[in-house]
Amino acid sequence: MSNTLRPYLNAVRQTLTASMCLENFSSQIAERHNKPEVEVGASKEVLLNPLVISRNDKERVLIESSVNSMRVSIAIKQADEIERILAHKFTRFLTQRAESFVILRRKPIEGYDISFLITNSHTEQMYKHKLVDFIIQFMEEVDKEISEMKLSLNARARIVSESYLSQFN
Amino acid sequence: MAFRKIDIDALEEDAFRQEELDFQEIGEVPPQQEVEAQVNNRAQEVRILLQRGDAAGALSTSLQNPPYGSGLETAKARNTQTVMEVLTYALKSADQLVKNLSSEEQDVLMKYLYAGMAAPEQNNSGVLLTWHEKLTEVAGQGCIVRVITDRRTV
Amino acid sequence: MSTDQPVIIEFNLGPISCHAFNHDRTELAVSFNTNVVSIFRKSGSGWTLAWTLEEHDKPVTSVDWAPKSNRIVTCSQDRNAYVWTLDQASQQWKPTLVLLRINRAATFTRWSPEEDKFAVASGSRCISVCYFEEDNDWWVGKHIKKPIRSTVLSLDWHPNNVLLAAGCADMKARVFSAFIKGVDKKPAPSPWGEKLPFNTVCGEFSSGTGGWIHGVAFSPSGDSLAFTGHDSSITVVSPATGSVQTIRAPYLPYVSVLWLNENQIVAAGHDCAPHLFENKGQQWAFSVSLDSAVKKADVGFTARDTFRRMDSRAQSTTSSDTEIHSHHQNTINSIRFYAGSRENLEQYTTSGVDGKLIIWNTSNIANILSNLRI
Repeated sequence: MSNTLRPYLNAVRQTLTASMCLENFSSQIAERHNKPEVEVGASKEVLLNPLVISRNDKERVLIESSVNSMRVSIAIKQADEIERILAHKFTRFLTQRAESFVILRRKPIEGYDISFLITNSHTEQMYKHKLVDFIIQFMEEVDKEISEMKLSLNARARIVSESYLSQFN
Repeated sequence: MAFRKIDIDALEEDAFRQEELDFQEIGEVPPQQEVEAQVNNRAQEVRILLQRGDAAGALSTSLQNPPYGSGLETAKARNTQTVMEVLTYALKSADQLVKNLSSEEQDVLMKYLYAGMAAPEQNNSGVLLTWHEKLTEVAGQGCIVRVITDRRTV
Repeated sequence: MSTDQPVIIEFNLGPISCHAFNHDRTELAVSFNTNVVSIFRKSGSGWTLAWTLEEHDKPVTSVDWAPKSNRIVTCSQDRNAYVWTLDQASQQWKPTLVLLRINRAATFTRWSPEEDKFAVASGSRCISVCYFEEDNDWWVGKHIKKPIRSTVLSLDWHPNNVLLAAGCADMKARVFSAFIKGVDKKPAPSPWGEKLPFNTVCGEFSSGTGGWIHGVAFSPSGDSLAFTGHDSSITVVSPATGSVQTIRAPYLPYVSVLWLNENQIVAAGHDCAPHLFENKGQQWAFSVSLDSAVKKADVGFTARDTFRRMDSRAQSTTSSDTEIHSHHQNTINSIRFYAGSRENLEQYTTSGVDGKLIIWNTSNIANILSNLRI
């Protein structure tokens, strides 16, 4: 388990570091505007090739970058129906509080569960390697979090059903 | 009120259009049949080299002259498959093999690693991640940067 | 200034977007990623704020200080550029608006070596070459437009005051003629060409693997051009011999580039440290990182912790150190000449997003190189 997680996270870390080379870039389309080019997508020459890193066909990360912004989208492992519901609830909880997460995007990219939008002002205010650490840590924790929730959900379900069924003894 | 929906930015004369950008970076794309024949020949060659056990030769042959440009999806997929065969075969000696590649070949290999990972249903991501790790150790993050900047995608 | 160690000036006022020194290095103009340019004066070992130039209303992107005529040019994302002159009576800097005639952000500006012109790069896909019009008493710009397809990111003047190199987000570095009739004398023929009317394209180059061209620089003689791209490459072009050499670096992209002499180039950018490139027997190659900051020792972590971290998070360093092992802690966005001559540079400065400005000595390069060989 752990031995494919390490190269996976390592690859994500290296790719994030390589893509997070952002600079202040004023819009070529609208005067006196400064917008994340990866979201606008109108100036083709300042967009870079998107990359996908996958661990298996369920867990993957999409990294799209541009001259002044980048988007990181994560597909979280969802093995069964319960995990799917939990992952959905969990990411929904986070995206509704996107302001407090600074780099979180309010809406994930199609096909992914959660997206981050990092702009040049973020890399100016924060240490770049710490931003990378944050995303890596998030990826690591989210799996753990969901499997823990699943365990406690199962445990509660067991208790509930036991106490319910005990009436019929 | 249909005029409100017109994307006026697309009418900007000076804007760099995708086709122009591709042409500047890739140049004239050769005819599809030609590229496909070339890619199929290379697949044959690589297979022969693999049967002989020449992993180094197979790897550098598979990375020669990759098909670039739009409209070559089948050829690209075929060539990616060829590279994947070599990578799966030579996984054990990845360490040594990446060191012996030229810097151009390293850049091309990195492109194929990401191309492979983009289709996890067809390829074994575990193998690719191992290669990715070995290649980054040797070629550094600069190699990844060139994958994202180079418009000649595989 | 005899020590080899770099001198660090730390302002802690936000990212430095650009900087420029005056002729005797006693005054320093800096913009901290805002619409204001602050001028500091050296006092003892520190720097005190002397003036602030407030005329722009969007972030200032570039500043340059003409050493001989003591004029400052600033440009900003608000599409304007100002030439500032020091009013002798009031001892205040007075702005003059420049007629750039551009409708997007101005991104970069530099005085020409003779200081009778300056060039402003912009996001409206052109370069405005500005000169002083006596009749109207203003600075006016003339556009270099073709064949630029995207935002121009950087500029550098050739020592002959006519040729101008431009790095552009359309993946090309170009050399143009910025010959202005009435201002310039006819330049001597150079490897870049003989007849040079305004807007002549004397060369168009790319690194071959894409990437915006972040930094351009002419060699001391002006016979070669070096440029860095977002593909982590450095390309050196010498039109006299027709050689075009691209070095693919294994590091993050370089943003700015500077020649120390004909055979050594320093480049710095997203890797936060200046890197040296050398020409050995007509072959350019990466040499060494010039930042020899000491690696901090990992303390307070057991081996088990370290291994666990490596295993679970793919993190090789301990998570407690927020600092990285270089003097600059974030992207370096400009390298500039500080002391010495154009042919043999002795000191240069770097400024970056981490809000630091560092003065580096070239005297210890030989030392670093010899240590490397042992």
